[in-house]
Amino acid sequence: MSDRWKIILLLTPAMSVIVLLFLGGLALGLMRSFNYMPIIGLINPNFDAYLAVFTSSEFYLSFLLTFHIAFTSTAISCVLAIGAALLLRRTFVGRSLINFLFQLNLTVPHLVGAVGILYLFSQSGSFARLANEFGMIERPSDFPALVFDPFAIGIILQYVWKEVPFIGVIVLANMQSLGEDYESVARSLGANKWQSFIHVLLPLIIPGVLSASVIVFAFTFGAFEIPAILGANFPAALPVLAFRKFTDVDLAARPEAMAMAMVIALLSAVMIFFYIRYTRQKFRN
Amino acid sequence: MTHVSLQELTKVYPGATAPALDRLSLEIASGELTALLGPSGCGKTTTMKMIAGLLPVSSGEINFDGKSILREKPENRNVVMVFQNYLLFPYMSVADNIGFGLKMRKLPKDEIARRVAEILALVRLPDLGARKPKELSGGQQQRVALARALIVQPRVLLLDEPLSNLDAHLRFEMRDLIRNLQQEMGITTIFVTHDQEEAVVLADRIALILDGRLKQYDSAEAFYRRPIDEATARFFGSHNFVGGAVSDGAFDSPLGRIVLPNGIADGPGKLTFRPENLRIGPAAESENRLTATVLSKIYLGTQTRLRVQVGDEVIEVLANPNDATEIAEGETAPISLPAPALWVVR
Repeated sequence: MSDRWKIILLLTPAMSVIVLLFLGGLALGLMRSFNYMPIIGLINPNFDAYLAVFTSSEFYLSFLLTFHIAFTSTAISCVLAIGAALLLRRTFVGRSLINFLFQLNLTVPHLVGAVGILYLFSQSGSFARLANEFGMIERPSDFPALVFDPFAIGIILQYVWKEVPFIGVIVLANMQSLGEDYESVARSLGANKWQSFIHVLLPLIIPGVLSASVIVFAFTFGAFEIPAILGANFPAALPVLAFRKFTDVDLAARPEAMAMAMVIALLSAVMIFFYIRYTRQKFRN
Repeated sequence: MTHVSLQELTKVYPGATAPALDRLSLEIASGELTALLGPSGCGKTTTMKMIAGLLPVSSGEINFDGKSILREKPENRNVVMVFQNYLLFPYMSVADNIGFGLKMRKLPKDEIARRVAEILALVRLPDLGARKPKELSGGQQQRVALARALIVQPRVLLLDEPLSNLDAHLRFEMRDLIRNLQQEMGITTIFVTHDQEEAVVLADRIALILDGRLKQYDSAEAFYRRPIDEATARFFGSHNFVGGAVSDGAFDSPLGRIVLPNGIADGPGKLTFRPENLRIGPAAESENRLTATVLSKIYLGTQTRLRVQVGDEVIEVLANPNDATEIAEGETAPISLPAPALWVVR
């Protein structure tokens, strides 16, 4: 058997999953977003669902909220992850333990983290009760709204908690493989610690940070479960909005849900494209 | 032009039982080119990093022109270190790499551009400013690293194994370039090497460090003619040692009584002589003349290596091929040990 056939055969199982489940689902969703659903008698494709999505003010509010969640979570996670990696690459007593604790929540599912945030930060949660117990607030309900709030603070908290170690592990591995010699060169050429970080280390680790942050951005932009648990009812994040349309008792709302899903996918792709392009230019120059 | 003084400089790494560098003291004159010579792991690079401020000092003192620099941050010492693997910033152009130090000093852009162009011409790379480091050969990268260091006009230049990554042809070229630039600019320079030939050719003075300790700090010639001990002599390629004792200007040994040069104190020791300084066959002189049995003979092109036996002692000789033509393995031949080439280590 030739090498070419061997490669094709070996790739077939994985490619079947991608082609049938992912691309098949995408094609089906695309057809339905164009109002093509023969099962309920929609056989004339059109742009009605997209029109409905783009003329709805709720869609734009949801888009802004979702972008805010994804962008803010990714930015905060990146900053904290780089800071943590800078500390963890140093040698100090107890470093292994700290490193272990830092990576521990990588194994905890998002849903469990969301429930934890709910228990800790909601107005009936532990922090609200503690603040009330110590007389800092009159009633637990006076505690600032960090969950189900319009600024999605609870959602962002959850994402940051979960994604800092994810980005941190990648950045730390990157820093360890680089070593400290590049920074030593910069220091001996007259750069202070901050200058050597900004002009030398950051441009060197940016490819790793970019790869990790793109994954985080794409995930947080398209994820449904955390905004569904910790988010406000209105405006809802785009995936929640799409899900609501999808589970609408009226099957005729489904093309709109599919149109919204397609728009989410397209927007993610476009934003990631510009994000990578911008950050690469910014840090490489 | 900076006088560098290292006093009892010591480095003990956390968790280590033995010091990586043990009480190193050196006085390096302004504008001098000094080699820190020794095998891997002997503490050479540790010394350089402490001078550059990249490693904290465990104990001891570093003075520049009589003033301690230990409290100065690396960026304020004006000591530039060129690493063995060049470490050019891969995302910057050659010109940006070279101008990096000036940019950190916040010099105007046109001033940086002018000085970068000057130094590029000096290192003979005038047209490569726009290239990225990965587009350069090893030798060109080395020159860029050197230019990046020289452009900031450092008080002290530190070179970590500057020639080790280059092929033989480029080594000669870089060696001359480093030596010429260093003398032209008068920068006090310390370089690390494990190659004694490199140290001899480049340095004004050599500090031999073995196991973290300074063995000898001297001119290259002194290392060949007056090594301080057997380890030093062996590091410089001498393998001939004969036990005995000095008395009244001669060395009593199994070879017989060998006449020594003046100035060697009486007492027990080991007579040492470099293989290339011995005379054999028709070149053998009357002074310290012995009869040897030839054990082996290998023709090396410009020299002939012979192993000969005198009594129980086996001696290595590097002879002129013309002198060794008539000498055959298993036969006897006269050899002489010229007194000026002899030395006694204790």
